[in-house]
Amino acid sequence: MAPTLDPDFPCSLPSTVDVPLPDHRLASTALRALQVDAELSPLVRRDFSLVATESQGEQSILRTEYKATTNRMLRVAVNGFMESLGVVLQVMEELDVDVLAAR
Amino acid sequence: MTKPLIALGLEGSANKLGVGIIRHPPHPISSFKPRPPAEILSNIRHTYNAPPGEGFLPKDTAQHHRQHVASLVQQSLAEANLTSSDIDVICYTKGPGMGAPLQSVAIAARTLSLMWNKPMVGVNHCIGHIEMGREITGATNPVVLYVSGGNTQVIAYSNQRYRIFGETLDIAVGNCLDRFARTLCIPNDPAPGYNIEQLAKKGNILLDLPYAVKGMDCSFSGILAKCDEYAAQMAKGTLTDPNTGEKITPEDLCFTLQETVFSMLVEITERAMAHVGSNQVLIVGGVGCNERVQEMMGSMAGERGGSVYATDERFCIDNGIMIAHAGLLAYSIGQTTDLVDCTCTQRFRTDDVWIGWRND
Repeated sequence: MAPTLDPDFPCSLPSTVDVPLPDHRLASTALRALQVDAELSPLVRRDFSLVATESQGEQSILRTEYKATTNRMLRVAVNGFMESLGVVLQVMEELDVDVLAAR
Repeated sequence: MTKPLIALGLEGSANKLGVGIIRHPPHPISSFKPRPPAEILSNIRHTYNAPPGEGFLPKDTAQHHRQHVASLVQQSLAEANLTSSDIDVICYTKGPGMGAPLQSVAIAARTLSLMWNKPMVGVNHCIGHIEMGREITGATNPVVLYVSGGNTQVIAYSNQRYRIFGETLDIAVGNCLDRFARTLCIPNDPAPGYNIEQLAKKGNILLDLPYAVKGMDCSFSGILAKCDEYAAQMAKGTLTDPNTGEKITPEDLCFTLQETVFSMLVEITERAMAHVGSNQVLIVGGVGCNERVQEMMGSMAGERGGSVYATDERFCIDNGIMIAHAGLLAYSIGQTTDLVDCTCTQRFRTDDVWIGWRND
């Protein structure tokens, strides 16, 4: 579902960013880790949620919706989010409990 | 007896990414006996250096930290021969420091905490330096000179706070040295301050620089400006020793700068020592590695019947083990930081932290 247009924040992503994760636990971890940092600019609004996959019914998709007052702010905010997401994913991939146990 | 505790510490407030794992052995609960020494199970670091003539920028530094944090934690665990279940608490640098680099490390720490289901402690970077310095050197109650690229403070402990007695009014002494290294295009590897120190050892002409001690505080930006002027004259070939007419070399300028700023630090440290009635000095922070500042401080302390305590580059330079150690001290008295509060802040005063683990 496309996000409704907010007149105060006219620049939104045309679709939301959905990141599929292996399971609900990891999706929830990513959401909780990323949520702590507030957006630096008051010109940007961000919303996280967990969404169920069609097949499994488990909420393992991290959905992120960004709205901003200008395209530039939108780009800056989303780029920042991607960078942080990258760290979260890499830490999960290399340091989760089962990965360490298998070493 | 208390339980043994193991902490993982992550540090990234400037251009050094550090990961450390520390163990506090069990000890009798009575607080009058000194604790047994902490055990360092791992202490590794990866430094981001800008090319000569440039300084490290927040964006590039944060990118460096993001790239290396996962592998550094993995390496650290491997070196300590531990796994996630062995760690009791995850400690990270809450501040002070550079925003983006701090955040890039904090997010990794939070992810680990959630995945491994371990509590977190946000640590003040300055407290990390102080507590690690005390642990390594065994100094009981010294006046602390904390000098680095980002901070310059004279600190004394009183009533469960590390109180700031004197500090820089503008830039840190390490920042002054680092920026002068840029002016002279000295390499930043392994550290600009280290390279300035090596050049200074070969200099011997002392030029006039403003000596900016103001009571208990000091200031460095005017000194840097004057030094930059000298460097420009030297580049033109017009800078000579007023007494002998000899041409001034980069070595002489490095020597001049070090002698001046270090004398200032010695003065404000001595002032704090006189005020507090202490004759022990503990030097912490990256600039504390400098042998000349240790030597000058040693002369002053010696004249007062005291001594200087300093650590080597494993602990002087920003590192993860000091964060693990300070965090574990807080954890051992029941302090943790809730996930929603595991943010970062660029400004975090040393005296904002309640030092509940000290009873003196």
